[in-house]
Amino acid sequence: MPRSNKLHPFTILAIAVAVVTMTTAASQWWLSCAVIGLCFLITGWAGHTKKLALLSGAMLLPTFLSLLLIHGLIPRVPSPAVAQWGPLRVTVHGLEVALSLGLRTAVLVVVGLLCGLLIDKHQLVAAIDLSPVPPQVGYLLAATLFLLPQMTEKQRQIGEAQTLRNAGIGTGLTGWFQRVRLRAVPLVLTSMQDAQDRAVHLSARGFPATGVRTRLREVPDTSVQRGIRWAAVICAVLGPVMILAPTWFGIN
Amino acid sequence: MSSNLLLPEETSSQTLRRRLMAVAGTVILVATYLTLIITQPMGIVEGLGQGVALGTFAAYLISAVLLLLAVLPDLPVSTLTLIPVALALNIILGQFVGSVMIPLYIDSIGTVIVGFLAGRRAGAATGVLSTLVWSLFAPTVLPFAAGAALVGFLAGTAARYGALRRVYLAPIAGLVAGVLVGVVSSPVATFVYGGTSGVGTGALVAAFSSMGDSLLSAVTKQALISDPGDKAVVFLVAALLVYALPKRLSGSFAFVRRYRVLGKRVSK
Repeated sequence: MPRSNKLHPFTILAIAVAVVTMTTAASQWWLSCAVIGLCFLITGWAGHTKKLALLSGAMLLPTFLSLLLIHGLIPRVPSPAVAQWGPLRVTVHGLEVALSLGLRTAVLVVVGLLCGLLIDKHQLVAAIDLSPVPPQVGYLLAATLFLLPQMTEKQRQIGEAQTLRNAGIGTGLTGWFQRVRLRAVPLVLTSMQDAQDRAVHLSARGFPATGVRTRLREVPDTSVQRGIRWAAVICAVLGPVMILAPTWFGIN
Repeated sequence: MSSNLLLPEETSSQTLRRRLMAVAGTVILVATYLTLIITQPMGIVEGLGQGVALGTFAAYLISAVLLLLAVLPDLPVSTLTLIPVALALNIILGQFVGSVMIPLYIDSIGTVIVGFLAGRRAGAATGVLSTLVWSLFAPTVLPFAAGAALVGFLAGTAARYGALRRVYLAPIAGLVAGVLVGVVSSPVATFVYGGTSGVGTGALVAAFSSMGDSLLSAVTKQALISDPGDKAVVFLVAALLVYALPKRLSGSFAFVRRYRVLGKRVSK
């Protein structure tokens, strides 16, 4: 069992929300870097470092490039240039703004992805089922999380079948559209037929059930974790207010 | 008599609570949007910027969740089982197209299909849920939940008023929906992220900025270029997929039968 499974999923989520809101409010590059570094330490402990690095890199690289295009190359404030290629010039101020906004997004991405890696999907579904939210939410989350890999696999099999019958092997944009069509149409049709069949079975069993139910899976929770959750929620709400209040009232 | 013989009828207090949640969600969304547009807060990185970013993020997310909680208990089981398929389609197709450097998203085909088949409330719920689930894999989409809800809502509205009865009407409805979605979503991109997260869309924003536009104006113009085209393509693809469904399947949705969504295409 992964070590992070001892934590209630809501504890992880509450801490993540508190960290993201307070780091965003503080907007200090060293704090953002420290949070990102800490996330990588935690993910190393959980054994997902490579996955986190790849996923966050894939998301943050286009974001940084986009911010550099918007703020770095188009300065809104006169500032000395760091680099210049013909009419294009990167200014100090533009670079600072792009990096600051990029770090803000990076904290959200890295902390969010870390949550996704640490939280066990079964535990999350069970925790939502046991919480007071409508029972449909738990079903929808569970169905989506377990349907995603199934549909991805189904799409791969459809692709293989189309290749075997020599269909959708064209090149260029037309070929790409043809491949997408040959994969998407059977995928959507079979998935919707399955969903319709499932609806009949669920209706026959009185879904969504009301009242108290017994779940075989228990979600580990302690009074300490409940306390941490409350503290994290308070920090998430009041932390940014306390950090930003001096700026709003012109104290700084 | 209860529509479902196995379940108790909903009490008036539950109905009132859900209506209040729907009203509160809509008010928060509209108020936040109007505040941002009227005040146009300056200083994205300094002091006020962080407060605006967090406030916009929280307000858009809270309004979307309130709308979801208001709508969810109303949905029939046939719609509930359809939503996960739609969410998976959004994620699979969205991640695929998102990796290509074109200023389109194509991440709402599933949401639009649900809107077409099950109505605007189901479409809106699918949009919010899709964003919440997707945020486990891509956290940056989280504040766009309200925009995603609007896509589903507008798809349902378009289907209700006959956008699927002629194939050429679907992309036109998509164009109109794209304008509205672009306008609603651009404050999030501007004030939460300081621009966009894609290189293609970022280049468009940079081009408008270089012409002297403010950041909000540049992002809105970029959204008005990307979103209508994107939604026109999505609405057309979703309409073609709905046409391809067996008539027995599409006709099983009460919304499709009640509003004659497919016109003469579906058998009774």
